[in-house]
Amino acid sequence: MLVTVCFYSYFKDLTGCARTTEELTCGSTLEDLFRALVVRFPKLGAMRKASLMAVGVDYQSRTYILREGDEVSLFPPVQGG
Amino acid sequence: MKKQVTITAEPINEPALLSQRVMSQGMGAVVCFLGVVRGTEEYANISALEYEVFQRMAEHQIDLLLDEMAKRWPIESVRMVHRFGLVKVNEPSLWVEVVAPHRGEAFSACQWLIDELKRAVPIWKKPVMGDR
Repeated sequence: MLVTVCFYSYFKDLTGCARTTEELTCGSTLEDLFRALVVRFPKLGAMRKASLMAVGVDYQSRTYILREGDEVSLFPPVQGG
Repeated sequence: MKKQVTITAEPINEPALLSQRVMSQGMGAVVCFLGVVRGTEEYANISALEYEVFQRMAEHQIDLLLDEMAKRWPIESVRMVHRFGLVKVNEPSLWVEVVAPHRGEAFSACQWLIDELKRAVPIWKKPVMGDR
């Protein structure tokens, strides 16, 4: 299945892009996606503990099971205000 | 609870916001907060902050926070404006107004909302270096 991934803040610099897609096997979780992204974008590896992940407009844990067409966002801790 | 949330690239027009305030006769407290860009970031002089927002998610997360706020305190209304894009030093990036019957709940709710905003709402800032 194919999921879309959007990067925000300095994660765009780490990956060199704002948006990409990733092909995953059915039943894959957000953790599986993160591992696959680290293979493609090794600089993300150091950000494992500082990464937040959302599906659509809601935060999700790494155990969230992805579905075809999900739009995932990956970003560092937020800094509003 | 009435709520009005604006995420905008335009400067915050505080006099206009104040002139648009509506409150019922049972309300006795209005707390307003302005978050302003400081001239230093980690000991270095900056000229501005560049704010980035994931707007769709930010609006949704703020909505969740306001729903939670309405459960915790008897707030009549909340208005919030957050800027994105370039915000120069001394300019406000955030404006919040909470209207409540008493000061205790107005202060507590406003403080809580800003703390939660900084925890959950997908907005980031990047310093623009240089003296003003």
